[in-house]
Amino acid sequence: MGYVAVTAGEELIERAADLFESQRIGDSEDVDVDQIRDQFGRLTAQAMGEGGLYAPRLAALAVKQAQGDAVEAAFLLRAYRSTLERFDESVTVEPSEMIASRRVSPAFKDVPGGQILGATKDYTQRLLDFDLVDGDPTDPTEDWDVEDAGEPERLTNVTELLREEGLLHEPTAPDVEEPNDTTRESVTHPPERDEVLQELARGETGAVTALGYSALRGYGQVHPTLAEVRVGDLPVRIEHPYTGDDVTVAHTRVTESEAVVPVYEKREDPQFAFGYGLTFGRNERKAIGMTILDASIQLDGEAEPAEDAEFVLDTVDGMDAFGFIEHLKLPHYVTFQSILDRIRAIRERQGLREDGRVDDEQPAEPAVAGASDDD
Amino acid sequence: MVDPYDRSDRFELIAACEGGTLARFANDVLADDPPLSVRQEPRPQLVMQQVREPVERRPFNLGEVLVTPAEVELDGARGFAMLPGKRERAALSGAIVDAAVAGDHEATPDIVAALEAVADSERDQRRRAWAESKHTAVDFQTMEGEE
Repeated sequence: MGYVAVTAGEELIERAADLFESQRIGDSEDVDVDQIRDQFGRLTAQAMGEGGLYAPRLAALAVKQAQGDAVEAAFLLRAYRSTLERFDESVTVEPSEMIASRRVSPAFKDVPGGQILGATKDYTQRLLDFDLVDGDPTDPTEDWDVEDAGEPERLTNVTELLREEGLLHEPTAPDVEEPNDTTRESVTHPPERDEVLQELARGETGAVTALGYSALRGYGQVHPTLAEVRVGDLPVRIEHPYTGDDVTVAHTRVTESEAVVPVYEKREDPQFAFGYGLTFGRNERKAIGMTILDASIQLDGEAEPAEDAEFVLDTVDGMDAFGFIEHLKLPHYVTFQSILDRIRAIRERQGLREDGRVDDEQPAEPAVAGASDDD
Repeated sequence: MVDPYDRSDRFELIAACEGGTLARFANDVLADDPPLSVRQEPRPQLVMQQVREPVERRPFNLGEVLVTPAEVELDGARGFAMLPGKRERAALSGAIVDAAVAGDHEATPDIVAALEAVADSERDQRRRAWAESKHTAVDFQTMEGEE
């Protein structure tokens, strides 16, 4: 496929961009970036997760600039990060260090540490709340008489319970000191698991959800039980340049999901395999989808899309998909002219008239061997 | 118990401090025009957050976190700070505050008091958030035998 530069005049391009800005401004009051950060947390979380950059205020700015297009906002964040230096890698943290604000276990009713619903409307009806039209600034938790529960507890990981009982398949511990960074080195196939997790963590939410769903719909073998889903804050630690101590510079809000997958029919020792999901921000749908895909990819199948690492990793990245799909609307005049010329030439050779009928004087060869008028 | 006189503890408290508070103390410290050199300009940078996956125990890169580090030398004492996000002014102020406490500047008692207040506020917020979460803890009851 060939490309060619076209020219249309800078002024016209600026005019179109101005019109885009004008539509964002509209007739209503300007939305403050902090309002977007605070009130559209799911959207900014999606942009941060897919952008692979944790920066809540800039994510809000990106969402504002992109007029609410989460993938475009993620693109803006990735473009911004590409201009920055890397200070360092963080000290590796354990997910168990998370200060959880929500944790539910669909697998165990009486999970140690308890089921903490946290902030959710999962158990309510999905009905439009017309009170929000005029705004309702009243905080419904204002009158809560909350007892001091002390310092946040570290909640026991559900997979730890299975491991203690020997029910969890223990993979051979990988000899990995430094994971490959897929933002710096492209993934080669078959990928290492750390590459799979990084790519899924910044995968596009809809794509991760859809491919994970495909496994549940029968295009795969993984139908997991979720051991738990958590939302909470993970510390970001660096080594202090003067003291050498591990120090916390920030916390990232993350969503974590773990799934167990029964593999007793396939192994001599009946145990659970597992899948893992972790992504920036509150995005349970994506974390669960990631969990299913992680478990599916470990099966290393070729027949099912979700089990094919190359297929999954080549399609879940929002920037790649966004770029390739949306570039189709850019000028392809030379390419299309070439196709037109080719088709016209073939038709001419076959004696086809403009109305599609065969010229009476020249009997036509079928365009495709064996094709008939009925095709 | 966090100690603002301890360099590592102070780093964490400065990272959690309001930018306006840091700027106010930095201005106080610089009021007498002490010798100051900026060893590292405050510029947004990235820290790649690495997490250890809990079953295979394999580390992987979750994603990058935006931070702004800065480093100064103030009257012979070095100071380093890193603030989350794109916050150049706050990071430079934080490095000056760190150096001021390291060099026992006369503003140190006020700075330490402010940083202790940050520690208290952080602890209160953490405990409040945890208490609210625990307020939603539920015992699911199975409904076997019920129609």
